[in-house]
Amino acid sequence: MYPAPAVKIFIIGAGQVGSTIVEALHGEHNLTVIDLDPARLTPLAYRYDIATIEANGASRRALADAGVRDADLVIACTSRDEANLVAATFARIEAPRATTVIRTSNVEYIELWREGRLDVDFVVSSEIETAHAITRVIGVPAALQTDVFADGQVQMVEYEVTELSNPDVLGKPLRQCDLVPRDSRVVSKIRGETMTIPNGATVINAGDRLVVVGSPEAAQAWGELLSPGEGVVEDVVVFGGGQVGVAIARQLLEQCIGVRLIEPDRERARRIAEELPDARVYQATGLDPDFLERERIGQAQAAVFAMREDSKNHYAATLARVHGVTFTIAIVHDPIAREVYEHSGVDVTVNPRQVTAEEIVRFAHDPRTQQVAMVEGDRFEVLDLTTSPTSGYVGLRFRDMPIRGAVIGAIVRDGKAVFPHSDDVLQAGDRVIVFTESSRVADVERVL
Amino acid sequence: MTAGKTHGRQQAPPRLTVDVRGAFGLIGTLTKYLAVAPLLPAALALAYRESPWPFLLSAAIVAFVGLALERLGLGTAPIGFREGFLVVACTWLAAATLGALPYLLSGSPQLDRPVDAYFEAMSGFTTTGASILTDIPALDNSMLMWRQFTQWLGGMGIIVLALAVLPRLRVGGRQLLESEMPGPEVDDLADRIRSTARRLWLLYVALTAVLAGILTVFGLTGIDSRMTPFNAVAHAFSTMPTGGFSPEPRSAEEFAPATQWVLVVFMIIAGLSFTLLYRALVRQRPRALLRDEEARLYVVVLIVVSALLTIELWRGGILRGEGAIRAAVFQVVSMMTTTGFASVDFIGWPALALMILVGVMFIGGSAGSTGGSIKVVRHLLLGKAIRRELRQTVHPEAVMPIRLNGAVVDERTIRAITTFVLLYFGIFVVGAAVIALDAAFQGPTISALDAIAISATTLGNVGPGLGLAGPMGSFAEFSDLSTVVMTLLMWMGRLEVIPVIVLLTRGYWRV
Repeated sequence: MYPAPAVKIFIIGAGQVGSTIVEALHGEHNLTVIDLDPARLTPLAYRYDIATIEANGASRRALADAGVRDADLVIACTSRDEANLVAATFARIEAPRATTVIRTSNVEYIELWREGRLDVDFVVSSEIETAHAITRVIGVPAALQTDVFADGQVQMVEYEVTELSNPDVLGKPLRQCDLVPRDSRVVSKIRGETMTIPNGATVINAGDRLVVVGSPEAAQAWGELLSPGEGVVEDVVVFGGGQVGVAIARQLLEQCIGVRLIEPDRERARRIAEELPDARVYQATGLDPDFLERERIGQAQAAVFAMREDSKNHYAATLARVHGVTFTIAIVHDPIAREVYEHSGVDVTVNPRQVTAEEIVRFAHDPRTQQVAMVEGDRFEVLDLTTSPTSGYVGLRFRDMPIRGAVIGAIVRDGKAVFPHSDDVLQAGDRVIVFTESSRVADVERVL
Repeated sequence: MTAGKTHGRQQAPPRLTVDVRGAFGLIGTLTKYLAVAPLLPAALALAYRESPWPFLLSAAIVAFVGLALERLGLGTAPIGFREGFLVVACTWLAAATLGALPYLLSGSPQLDRPVDAYFEAMSGFTTTGASILTDIPALDNSMLMWRQFTQWLGGMGIIVLALAVLPRLRVGGRQLLESEMPGPEVDDLADRIRSTARRLWLLYVALTAVLAGILTVFGLTGIDSRMTPFNAVAHAFSTMPTGGFSPEPRSAEEFAPATQWVLVVFMIIAGLSFTLLYRALVRQRPRALLRDEEARLYVVVLIVVSALLTIELWRGGILRGEGAIRAAVFQVVSMMTTTGFASVDFIGWPALALMILVGVMFIGGSAGSTGGSIKVVRHLLLGKAIRRELRQTVHPEAVMPIRLNGAVVDERTIRAITTFVLLYFGIFVVGAAVIALDAAFQGPTISALDAIAISATTLGNVGPGLGLAGPMGSFAEFSDLSTVVMTLLMWMGRLEVIPVIVLLTRGYWRV
């Protein structure tokens, strides 16, 4: 049965989401990308070994001509909700057995899908995924990135080690640190472009980034160790009341985190204030120093910049930092903007298209894979997958496992998360949370 | 005139923008049906072997005038938004006329002057309960019951009643209902205004029947020896509309404590929104009452103010024990719901206690209740608006919609409420000034607080004032000018000021 067969995937839309998906999947699967714009297709065709077709993905004939009936998975990820829905509907007619995934920001479609009345298999919303990503980061203040697995039993967090980190963990081999929380495992140490899989002798220094897999409590404890003093978040300022901003505010409020939302448009601000009774809404640009001063925006524990323009987000984030906000999170629309942001000190950037792509990529993985999280752009992935009974690793002790470039951070056995020690033995049917380089995902899926 | 000319430009615009003929036609229709009302006391008069003629004659006169007015409106287009105000305002004047006719025709020496009779009738229909009678038992039983009955008709609203029972009014009715129903907005109980009106009246009738039943039982079982079936019905007719007339010269003083407590409970019920009561009682969702912000505030205010007054009475050594609590609760509930019963003559109470009673006259019942005055919900929303203004002084950019029971309240409603409250206080001040000045020139001798209380009690449709006009007193001694002013205050208070004031603006009558 294994290696997992390469599947045939149709991607409709070669924008940012489409490109990110291609980037993540081109190695293992056969991809066909459909877009109307040749200028988007050509670079993809040159860079990756994929088929590109210049056609309208929302046309039944074009889909049929492109050979959609052989597809195993159809991903409609243009920026237009209706086009995606139509494309998926036609794909269902042409290829009834293919899995269909659509990207949409329309709440009605999502609700319909949840009720099971929309004839597509999966619906992914940029706004909701972005909001998820941001709330996850804010929930763990010191984290660069975080994700949860196995219904919240296992948390993956990427931390940055700084001079402020607890001296007990700095400059020492890991095995000598007494404070390292139980129920957790450092699965990766990233410094610049190099990644090492840590063992007991690994030394942690300021400037390193650590990826930790552990119980939520242990992940919190790591946060305390590495960035002391950043406790619970109570006051988050969200700049921009667009769909993303509102989705973020709503999710934060659901986690009982206080939200102040700033929106320049009077009508829009009013609507948000009516929609979110618990949020404090201000009608202001957020670029006015007087306003920032008067409202003591600098005292906020975190500021999220969810405006439509990267340059505005960038400016507002810098201004907010000037006014004393210590933790800034910005939405990035253009991938280039990420570097600009990070250069000027924005702590975390979230690219809605990337998180969307990430979510969609999940469906292209081996069906045993329950979830995927990407770390450091798309350099690394954390997979949640179930070991097959025929895997050569079943019955091995963890210390004897010869996986190169991959680490099992946690296993879920009988629905309970276990954080394995070197003497523990992997059993068939265990769900493993495994960290690996993106290029090795296929290998990992094959051997486990 | 040729067909072409009708589209011509030279057609002069109508001088008046209000269709007065159409409006009077509708008033005529409403009045015509009101003529049925005196038949009840007429029947009672026959039963008590009293003269039914004042009632029958009044009914005949009113029916005739109503029919005549209705003919005036024949052939006019259905009335529109503007005419609604005129219809509501004039219908209430007409109703008071109907109320006054039997008093005049009866030839009773206490009510033989038209100004006094009209005051008494307006006090009845507006559920005020202020009386110019000095010797209540001297009136016939049928006449006493007519007094009670006018309150009961006015309580839920005569136009609401008309909408509920009349076959067709040639109007949508929503605006009429909104002008007449107390409170800033009308909550729908059904998709048709007619069925909403019908449900409200049915609930009203049912609650009145229950109260009358309980009181009758009290009388029959000897719990309250003074509670005859006549008194039971009379007090039910007065309690449910938060009226305040009583056939007893000493109001509720002579009744047993149990009766007084029952009256307290029903006054509180009458001060609750009937749409809310309908949901809670008929649709069996009692939690609706607990969740409603206005109802909660209403009860909290009643409890807190009653407690304050109890302490004041107890400390001042006026009353003690259960008596103090009962007196305080009864008076506060009666004044705040604008009923106007009294279980003790509070004229001699200390100034602070009197101030409390005058103060609660400005609170009133809930919107959609039969109570008068400003209404709890307006205070609630005004409070929220004030809180928002204060917050916005510090956070000028903050956007803060005002919510009531979770739903956002329209800014126009907030503005309308602010206007209403300001107008209300303005009219109250003018009323108090006129009454005080008139009393200074023509007598009787009253204090400034008395004038204030009289203006507040008539505008708020409460009933008793202070001094001469106290709960066991009478408004008889005031001059005709003061009586007319008080009558106008009651009329404006019942219609919640704005429909009346609108008629006085030039913009209403002209383009």
